[in-house]
Amino acid sequence: MSVKQLNILLADDDTDDCIFFKKALTELVIPTNLIAVHDGEQLMHLLINETTLLPHILFLDLNMPRKNGFECLSEIKLSEKLKQLPVIVFSTSFEQDVVNRLYKNGAQYFIRKPPEFSQFKKIIQQALMLIVQGNISQPTREDFVLTLQNS
Amino acid sequence: MAKINHVEELIFQKKENEKLVAELSIANKELAFQKEEKGKRAAELGIANIELAFQDDEKGKRAAELGIANKELVFQDDEKGKRAAELSIANKELIFQNEEKEKRAVELGIANKELIFQNEEKGKRAAELTIANKELAFQNDEKEKRAAELGIANKELAFQNDEKEKRAAELTIANTELAFQNDEKEKRAAELGIANKELAFQNNEKEKRAAELDIANKELAFQNDEKEKRAAELGIANKELAFQNDEKEKRAAELIIANKELAFQNNEKEKRAEELIIANKELLAFTYISGHDLQEPLRKIQTFVTIILENENKNLSDDGKYNFQRMQLAAGRMQQLIDDLLAFSRISTTELKFEKTELNTIIEEVKTELKETIQEKHATIEATELGSVNIIAFQFRQLMYNLISNALKFSSPGIPSHIIIKSRIVKGSELNNEKLSPEKNYCHITVKDNGIGFEPHFSERIFEVFQKLHGKEVYAGTGIGLAIVKKIVENHNGIIIATSESKKGATFDIYIPAD
Repeated sequence: MSVKQLNILLADDDTDDCIFFKKALTELVIPTNLIAVHDGEQLMHLLINETTLLPHILFLDLNMPRKNGFECLSEIKLSEKLKQLPVIVFSTSFEQDVVNRLYKNGAQYFIRKPPEFSQFKKIIQQALMLIVQGNISQPTREDFVLTLQNS
Repeated sequence: MAKINHVEELIFQKKENEKLVAELSIANKELAFQKEEKGKRAAELGIANIELAFQDDEKGKRAAELGIANKELVFQDDEKGKRAAELSIANKELIFQNEEKEKRAVELGIANKELIFQNEEKGKRAAELTIANKELAFQNDEKEKRAAELGIANKELAFQNDEKEKRAAELTIANTELAFQNDEKEKRAAELGIANKELAFQNNEKEKRAAELDIANKELAFQNDEKEKRAAELGIANKELAFQNDEKEKRAAELIIANKELAFQNNEKEKRAEELIIANKELLAFTYISGHDLQEPLRKIQTFVTIILENENKNLSDDGKYNFQRMQLAAGRMQQLIDDLLAFSRISTTELKFEKTELNTIIEEVKTELKETIQEKHATIEATELGSVNIIAFQFRQLMYNLISNALKFSSPGIPSHIIIKSRIVKGSELNNEKLSPEKNYCHITVKDNGIGFEPHFSERIFEVFQKLHGKEVYAGTGIGLAIVKKIVENHNGIIIATSESKKGATFDIYIPAD
């Protein structure tokens, strides 16, 4: 992917998490441009009406008002226009069932939000690097959940 | 003179003739009288015969009646009493008739003797007449005129004699017949005697029967009495039974009411049980949701702490840094607690879906998940002879994860951790455990380590929720891991037994049904 800047779309209703995410991105070496929406309807509205430029990556929270992450994921993957968009699910909880369902519905990766900020930064960087390196087709189930790599 | 003599002789002869005629007239009169007498006797004999014939008839009738009466007697055993009385009367009558007959017989006997006597007399007379006739014939010879007259008279007399003889013969025949009839009567009398004896015997028999019947009647009466007593007793017993039935019905009614009440209570209990199950599920769901939702603010606290520690490191005093670190640890423990609680509630709330699963696959998955810790502890996990079992795969993965991570966590310091996992199929009867059915086959899974172990008396307690054997500073943990293990084993209808000695490693034996 040869772009000057990664366009990142974040869908999360939690203000703190948005702040953490923004802060993390600013501290990363990869140049990014962040747009944040705070519920599922806003997200879908934005994506459907975007005529020129789709984001490179979508970070999607699951528990959102009006339309949750699952619904948004399904709609995106059923849309010809949007189905190529890599969706990284970003959630506080980790449920095997939920993860399986997300994998089945076509999400790119699953990230459990880590408690330490440094881990938070690292895992976002890891995910961005994978996308930048062109890993945009769905990985195997084993590699679906991103965990911190010791480096 | 001769002429005078001759006249005198003629006169004398005439006188003689006159005398003879007179004598003959007398004789004739006598014969006529005798004839009359014979006629009378004959008439009497005729009457006697008719009477005898009538008596014979009567006897025949009686005999017939007796025959009928006998038949009737034989036939009418039931009315023996009445018949006996009738027979008694009939017998008396017969006896009376017999007596009559005997009297008649005696009378006839006398009549016969008289007739015989008369016949004898007649015989004598006949002889006398014969002599007289001979004399007259001689006189007739001598006196031709007279002789002719006398001849006629003689012939008449002879005819009369003939008649008399005929009569005598007839009488003889009649006598013979009478004798025969008498004989017959005697025979009849004898027969009647026999019949009487028989009747008397029958009467006797009847009386015996009557006596027997009487005895039988008495016995029957006694039995009736007994029966009536029994009936009375039964009546009392019946009343008692009826009373008992009444009581039973009352009881039954009470029981029905009680049953209804119990059924109602059961229903209520079932409702309560259902409500409790629902409440329990709700509670677990609540635990799950609350646990889930607690994670987010907790995580944010942790994140903020790390941001402060990172960004404000220079501005913080050592004490401030230390307190933040303690805060971080506390938050970390809380996170673990929430994770474990979530796992615990998940075990109870998710549906149990059994499927044939390779234990090796599960162990491999767990090993992958614990890869870093395994490396860190220099652990070797020996998983051999593992088969496939009917299990709830995701729960069993959790179980194995907990057991293996426990084994790694409680490894002996300085000694590489060595974990051996085995499985086999074994008959329940060989296991000698009262919680296991001897007829069933079990899959016996063993997880054995060489870690620090625990004192034997903790072997049950370690499976209780929040039970810990070590301080959290030494071994981090919430005390939920083994409780989850136990719950999963129970979800598989199995049992788990932990055996250990301090410092000598621990062994976990799991038995789950294999059929």
